[in-house]
This record gives sequence, structure tokens and C-alpha cells, in this order.
Amino acid sequence: MTSAPSPNPMIQFSEVSKVYPGGIEALNQLTFQIDKGEMVFLAGHSGAGKSTLLKLIAGIERANRGTVTVNGQNLSKMHPTELAYLRQHIGLIFQDHKILFDRTVHENVLLPLEIIGFDRREAAKRVRAALDKVGLLNKEKMNPVRLSGGEQQRLCIARAVVHRPAILLADEPTGNLDRAYAQDIMELFKSFHQVGVTIVISAHDEILMREYGQRTIRLSQGKLG
Amino acid sequence: MQRFFYLHLRAASQALRTLLQQPLSSLLGLAMLGLAVALPVCLYLLVSSAQQWSQGLTVKPEITVFMELNAERTDVVVVDEHLRQHKSIADYEFISREQALKVLLEKQNLQDIGQALGGNPLPDAFIIRPKELTPEQMEQLAVELSHLPLVENTQFDAGWARKLAQILAVLQHFTLVLGASLAVTLLLVTHNMIRMQILAHRDAIEVSKLIGAPNPFIRRPFLYLAVWQGGIAAALGWGLAQAFIATLNPLIADFAALYHSQAELHSLNLEESALLVVSIIGLSCLTAAWTCTRLLRKLEPR
Repeated sequence: MTSAPSPNPMIQFSEVSKVYPGGIEALNQLTFQIDKGEMVFLAGHSGAGKSTLLKLIAGIERANRGTVTVNGQNLSKMHPTELAYLRQHIGLIFQDHKILFDRTVHENVLLPLEIIGFDRREAAKRVRAALDKVGLLNKEKMNPVRLSGGEQQRLCIARAVVHRPAILLADEPTGNLDRAYAQDIMELFKSFHQVGVTIVISAHDEILMREYGQRTIRLSQGKLG
Repeated sequence: MQRFFYLHLRAASQALRTLLQQPLSSLLGLAMLGLAVALPVCLYLLVSSAQQWSQGLTVKPEITVFMELNAERTDVVVVDEHLRQHKSIADYEFISREQALKVLLEKQNLQDIGQALGGNPLPDAFIIRPKELTPEQMEQLAVELSHLPLVENTQFDAGWARKLAQILAVLQHFTLVLGASLAVTLLLVTHNMIRMQILAHRDAIEVSKLIGAPNPFIRRPFLYLAVWQGGIAAALGWGLAQAFIATLNPLIADFAALYHSQAELHSLNLEESALLVVSIIGLSCLTAAWTCTRLLRKLEPR
């Protein structure tokens, strides 16, 4: 699926291909764009290239061919340190949460603010606000190992939004959750979308995607389907 | 700028917390490093104190210039004039052959033999105390003086001066070797500590990189850990060296008193102490930076 060029793109893929070592082709000649403030679903079966596409947007992986542009910056020309600073403007929600279990819930959410170098008091205020938003404020001093799967996913979301990123990338955020929890999570994304955050969600729950009626980019064997 | 200081302050306190979280293993590691620092420092103090002491000895190396037996008074005056103008000679004394014989016979109670000799077999001589020269320079001076007219030969008791200088040179070399061993020990211990810390925090590092931490941010606490370790090890080494000096000084003073001399080991002065601390911290930091760069490359987010 391709869209007409927009004057207001946040993410642009132009003829992007990604081949992993061993010749595994994850993406093949992808061209599309996502506008500022848009909420987009990435759909496709396992192995279709959804996670790779998100990693390319976040600058975690680099394209072998083509250009990936985020907020006007060509990622293929950026130094790893510049990519790290770019990621400070992106909120990442991982399929496996990537929670640090040797830290409290509060400390996990604090991490992006520590990296940016927020003042301690302001950071604590923001962490509590983010935890309040995802309904975990009463568990801020807990070790995350004691949280349920849904709570861990919400913790991951709180960490992804605490620094108010311009882009939110979510890799299967509702994959392991039952429908009620999944809807809670989707409502959170909707609220971020309403305040202008560009959101890309990889999912395979067709019902859920239809329910939220956003544009869907479909991937099949690394190509737009 | 405020953010810059905040980030550094936080990294420094985080590193100190890391050390304090494992007090026993930190203490053992630091004690080992402290000892490794103390050994070359003590040896350095021993050598430099010995050098100072040997320079202050009242018994200075001397060169004796013996004139030929047929040398006249005018020949002696020529040599005397030469010695007076020589820049490497601090002072000298002329001992006439009559004076020498008198002293010899008086000292050894050989008056009877003196009468039997029927003449004076001793030559005129000059005893020369050179300015501060190395044993090699003194030897050169002795050779130069032996070429003066009607000088029979010169005698320079170079043995003890050369031996002392050689012993001190060996000890100096040994200090350097020990210092190099300290540097290698420090390098290995720091490398191992930082490597263990990085591996222990592997998950946090990977997640931090994923959410936008640049390498300097990741590296900073490990560099401060090396700063703390190096600083504490240097302080411990310095303290141990001071304790060593305090223990040994009374014994050295007693020993020196037997030879009617005064000797003591001196402590590191302010400049030497600062150099010790700065070089150990610097070396620790460089090692930590190298280790971080090498290992963090392997922990790129995937």
C-alpha cells in the first residue's frame, strides 16, 4: 500500500530494502510515508518484516538500500551517536517489554529522563504523571516482577511516553493480552494520538485494527501487500 | 551547563554506590591495588632518600696526584697553578714528601725504619676534592691530571663511589620495573572490574541504548568507577608508604648513628603525591575508556 506524497511527512521510506546476514531478506523495496500526528497500524503475519520496519524507523537497524527519513533526517547518513539522540525523541514499546527487573517500576520509567538529563524533581513529577496515565501510580515502588503481563506492558508504555516523544513505535503491544487489556492499551494510544504524537503500531489483531479505523500498512514477505 | 554537571555528579555518585554495594570485594580489590601502589612508592622513597644521603656524605671522593721523585719545587708550582684554575676542582691540599714521610713514620711507629732508609722514598702529592661529579667525570679528571708535567700518576678511589652509584641505579631501575608492574596490575584489575560491571549491567545497557542513551552516557559511570578505584588505591598506597616510612625511620636513624651520621627516609612531597594520584587515576580512566569502547561495541541494540 502506498500513499500520495504529503507536505507534512514524519516518516518516509524510499525504496528501502533490508537483508540480514545470511541473505535473509526482511524488507524489499518499501516506499511509503507516515504524516506528522498520524496513527498507523502495521499488519502482517509473523516474519512479514514488521519488527524490522520499526527498527529501521528507530535507527536500531540500518537499511541496505534506499533511504529512511525521520522528521527530515536521513538515517542512513547519521552517526550512531546521532541516532541515539534521535531515539530520545522516539518512544519504543517492545514486544518483550525490555523491563529492568533489578529496578523498581518508578526507576524503569525514570530511565529515559535520566538519559536526557532531566532535573531530578521534574523527572519524578513526570514519572508519576506517566504512571498515573497508565494506572500504575500505586505500584511505583514495586519490583516489576510482581506485575501482571498487562501491567508490564503498561509500564513499558509509561517508559515510552514519559519524555513526551514525537513518535511512538509499538511492536505488538497487545500481542499477549486478552481483549479487555488490549482495549485499555489501545485507548492509551488513542489518547497520545489525540495530543499529536505520530504512532506506528505493529499488530495482527484485525478486529482491533478495524475498531480504531486508522490507516493500515500491510506487509507480506517484506513487501507492501 | 547545569545539565552537564548534573549528569557527571549523578554518574559519580552512581559509581560510588556501585563500589559500596559490594563492600568486601571492593575492599579486597582496593587493598590489592593499594599494596601494588605502595611497593614501588616505598622503593622510590628508599632510593631517593639514599641518593640524598649519599650526596650529603662528608667523606667525598678524592683524587691523589703523585709527583715524580725528581720533581723540583718549580714543577710543583706549575701543577699547583693548574689545579687552582681548574673549574672541576672544589679544593685541594698539597702534601710535601717530607710531610708525608713524617706522618707515615709517626702513624705507624716506624721511626727506626725511617733512619734505615737513608732517604725519602715518598713523592710530593696533591689531594684533590673535585666539585660534584659523576664517577665517570671523576675518572676523566684523574686521567687529565695524570698528563700534567712531572706527574707520576694519579689515584682515584672510584670503587666505592661507582658501587654506590651502581647500586642506586639498579634500585632506580628496579623501581621503574615495579612501577611498570603496578601499571600493568592496575590495567588488568581495572579492565576486569569494568568488564564485570558491564556484563552485570548488560540488560540495562542494552535497554538504555535502545531508548536513546549515547555511548558517553553509558560509559560515564564506568569511568567514574575507575576514577574512584584509582583515587582510593592511590590514597591507600600513599598511606601504606607513609606507615612504612614511619616504621623504618627509627631503625635507620639508629643504624646511621653507628657511623656518626644522620639518615632518614623522606615522605612524598606535595608534587610527588599529586603526580602519584593523577597518574593512577589517569591510567585507570584510560583503561576503563578502552574497555568500555571495546565492550560497548558488542552491545549495540538489535
